[in-house]
Amino acid sequence: MTDSPALAASASSRKLAEKPYDFSRKYWLFALPAVIVVLSVIVFPWLFTVFMSVNDWKIGGGMDFVGLDNFRTLIADERFRESLFITIYFTILAVIIPIVLGTVAALVFHREFPFRGLLRTIFVMPMMATPVAVALVWKMMFHPQLGVLNYLLSLVGISPSEWVFSTSTVIPTLVMVEVWHWTPLVMLILLGGLAGMPTEPYESAKIDGANSWQMFRFITLPLLWPYIMIALVIRTIDALKVFDIIFVISEGGPGTASETLNIFLYLQAFQFYKIGYSSAVVVIFFTIIVALSLVLLYVRQKTKWNA
Amino acid sequence: MTDKRTSDVTRRQLLQTGASLSVLGAVGAPAIISAANAQSSFNWKQAAGQQIDVMLVKNPRSDLLQAAEKEFTELTGIKVSSEQIPEQQQRQKAMIEFSSGRPTFDVTMLALHVQKRLAYKGKWVEDLRPFIDNPAITNPNFDLADFSAAGMNFARQADGALTTIPHFVDFWMLYYNKEMFDKKGVAYPTSMENIIKVAQQLNDPSNGVYGFVSRGLKNANIPVWTSWLLGQGLETIDPATGKLNTDGEAAIWAATLYRDLNKNYAPPGTIGFNWNECQTSFMQGRAAMWLDGIGFATPLEDPTKSKVVGKVGYGVTPPGPKAHHSATFADGLGISRASTKKTAAWLYIQFMTGKKEQIAMLKAGAGCPARMSAFADPEATKSSTFSKQYFDCLQSSAKIGRPGLPQIIPVTEFRDIFGVALTNTLSGADPAAELKKATEIFKPVLEKSEQG
Amino acid sequence: MPVALERLLNRIAFGLSLFVLVSPAILVFFWMLSLSLKNEVDNTAWPPVFIPNPPTLANYVEVFARNNFLLYLWNSIIVTGGAVLFGMLIGVPAGYGIARSKSAKSAVLILIARMTPALSYLIPLFMVFQILGMIGTKSALLITHLVITVPIIVWIMIGYFENIPAELEDAALVDGANTWQSFRHIALPLARPGIVVGGILAFIFSWNNFIFSVVLGGKNTRTLPSAIYNVLTFEQISWGPLAAAALLVTLPVLLLTVIAQREIVAGLSAGGLKDG
Repeated sequence: MTDSPALAASASSRKLAEKPYDFSRKYWLFALPAVIVVLSVIVFPWLFTVFMSVNDWKIGGGMDFVGLDNFRTLIADERFRESLFITIYFTILAVIIPIVLGTVAALVFHREFPFRGLLRTIFVMPMMATPVAVALVWKMMFHPQLGVLNYLLSLVGISPSEWVFSTSTVIPTLVMVEVWHWTPLVMLILLGGLAGMPTEPYESAKIDGANSWQMFRFITLPLLWPYIMIALVIRTIDALKVFDIIFVISEGGPGTASETLNIFLYLQAFQFYKIGYSSAVVVIFFTIIVALSLVLLYVRQKTKWNA
Repeated sequence: MTDKRTSDVTRRQLLQTGASLSVLGAVGAPAIISAANAQSSFNWKQAAGQQIDVMLVKNPRSDLLQAAEKEFTELTGIKVSSEQIPEQQQRQKAMIEFSSGRPTFDVTMLALHVQKRLAYKGKWVEDLRPFIDNPAITNPNFDLADFSAAGMNFARQADGALTTIPHFVDFWMLYYNKEMFDKKGVAYPTSMENIIKVAQQLNDPSNGVYGFVSRGLKNANIPVWTSWLLGQGLETIDPATGKLNTDGEAAIWAATLYRDLNKNYAPPGTIGFNWNECQTSFMQGRAAMWLDGIGFATPLEDPTKSKVVGKVGYGVTPPGPKAHHSATFADGLGISRASTKKTAAWLYIQFMTGKKEQIAMLKAGAGCPARMSAFADPEATKSSTFSKQYFDCLQSSAKIGRPGLPQIIPVTEFRDIFGVALTNTLSGADPAAELKKATEIFKPVLEKSEQG
Repeated sequence: MPVALERLLNRIAFGLSLFVLVSPAILVFFWMLSLSLKNEVDNTAWPPVFIPNPPTLANYVEVFARNNFLLYLWNSIIVTGGAVLFGMLIGVPAGYGIARSKSAKSAVLILIARMTPALSYLIPLFMVFQILGMIGTKSALLITHLVITVPIIVWIMIGYFENIPAELEDAALVDGANTWQSFRHIALPLARPGIVVGGILAFIFSWNNFIFSVVLGGKNTRTLPSAIYNVLTFEQISWGPLAAAALLVTLPVLLLTVIAQREIVAGLSAGGLKDG
């Protein structure tokens, strides 16, 4: 938090002079309307989900309390386990690649060069674009016979790929879309970090004759590390949550080759209408996300400390 | 606007030429007279001013239904607000909206091979028998007996309730590129096994031409497999005993045929193809044969879309080792139970499943109408765009039609579980093992649904 | 000379990496535009036609003629606009309240709410709306979109209000102003940039959401993103109208990104993510 010494001093001196005042008072009133909304549309659904997860409930059918049966069935469900594995595979790739590219991008856009603003805007645009809309365009580009991507590959002498139409290439292809979409966010986080960096270490390193790689390795990277950690956690959470692009581009296929946890969840809930069963998936998913959010919070606190 | 005066005129004209007409009518032109009669005695205008919402599935038939809306509105004064939703999304929307109890449509098209029992169990749609029996709201010419047995079997529930009027019966057949066949001097396959040999002869990947194409996408690929299975004289679930025929020798044979054709002789990416991607491949002259429903013919003969106009052959699904069948599916139109405009909705269904519209479907190549009278009309099968072979194929297929999907409630699960198994075989998995696994997963799902 | 050469190589490497970074974005948006301006024959031509010649607006005409595009646009505006406005109305004061009372627990709750996948809210809310008979209504959609807008607005506002020195307000409070007045006249004006940022980001995320409307939207209530998925999709290979519709759907957020890019960058890198 920023300190503004002058104001603080004057305020505190006056505070002492006059009557004591409880500053924490009544602030909760400001949050009250939001608290009500958050309780009803966010916290209530959480609790309701837990309730549904211990019941056998199908749309159009009755409801039976089954205890932890749904969870037991889930653990035995091969397709669920497979979707966990696919999610992890996807997430690892969709975290590491944007972090590496985002770091490069941040270093590039940190420098001054002509049209920097314009190019940065273009670079950031994918992040804001409506996922369904771009997913549809990607899908057209992936068409194995008429897609533009295979044509571009042929121009540089690479044989055509089957993109999302093959079990072995579907995940890397979807990761590519995800990288395209979210590398800008990593770049923005790191750019914020670079902006706040001191200049002195670089100057003294230059005097000592360090080359640019050494400067990056021994000065930039350590200073940037906390921001990379934040980006890492945020990317992990986002990658776990990916739904739109997979749903539109591959629908979890071919077969179940790109059926992530989220797609599995959607299928159970809104194709098979197994509300209890899918709620159990949500509970597990939610636990993972909460754990990661707490990690994020922890990392954030540490960053503050370091910076 | 058909006000009183015009219908009077019609009647007077009829009276003037009454004698000659009655003779003619007995001999050869009953359609004209009965149509005129119907208009004068049946009140199409009884729900004028209302507006009904209609949910359709995206396909060539729905295009025709939408094209006929204008005429329907002129006749009845009922406004129609309809929309076409792609198949998968429509099935989900129907489920969600019907189970919410407040569907946003009065009429819906249902895929009877998938939604028939679900719709009845979930009380989605009205039993139409009381509507048909009520002369005040049913055109005397509606003629339920005109609908083919295949269509009625799909529409009628086990206890006799009629929850939809069949609109379209789909027969699976083999589209083939006559030019390619002629060029290589190859004859139309004589049996299912023979398709492999023919595909092999026509396959030319270096020129971007493939011997065969069919759906590889999970869910959508099931009819391909069941088509082959019917060649063994079996349905996936025995309609009489309820026994699963999904992991026996015949099923494995069918899955192997499915795999061999789609893996070895189909364009790359078939694993993700639904009918539209297959259609594109065939239309662009990239595939020599395409197994699918006969209702997808319209765009093949449309010069603005197709590169194979005039070269398309329409072949009946070749016989299998033990039997010769064509996998059959059907769509019907039903009225939402929650609708408040049921009379208007019923008028819409009568009009849209009427003889004229059914003939239009046949003429447009949009598929096989559910009414038999459509075929009796000499005009209908004398199409400028479709060869005689098309109509022959239709009628021959109709003779050997057999349901392509089991009539069970968890059809979605069935299609998903076995669809994944089939898709896996395209990536190298063993058909026998995949089918065995899928059968094990599906068995409890089926048992549970039959209990509840 | 080596210095000059090194500088040149440096420049080339820099230019190259810039090209590699920016070209994918250009390619996708360019291809979207190109598809939308070509006729069917050119769109399926091989080798592909890149520059529409002559460009045609037929695809756009078809999008408007054959679909209720304006209705879906209006639905999107109502749902997203309503959810953002309501979110600001309750989220801005909440951000202030949490920041000033230093309630770490509420902040964590908001963070978790922001991180939870939208899909996980969908099942319970779907069941609730089902019981209430609200499936297919705009109100149900608007309420569901609050799940997106409220957490992000509150989260960003916490960051902004924390950075406004409390001492400024202390002075006013001592002078007899109540907390509402001090919020209204001191904190709120100072946090205006935060409000803009929070509003823009909430707008974009809400606008882009599509799965809520796929499940909860009805024939006349669905929003644009679910409309292109539900209604248009892949009918044969009519890529032109599909690309045109996709472009129209994402155009508002792209324009907003270009116009307010400074605020968005600030919001995402500073107020939204870094601070806490």
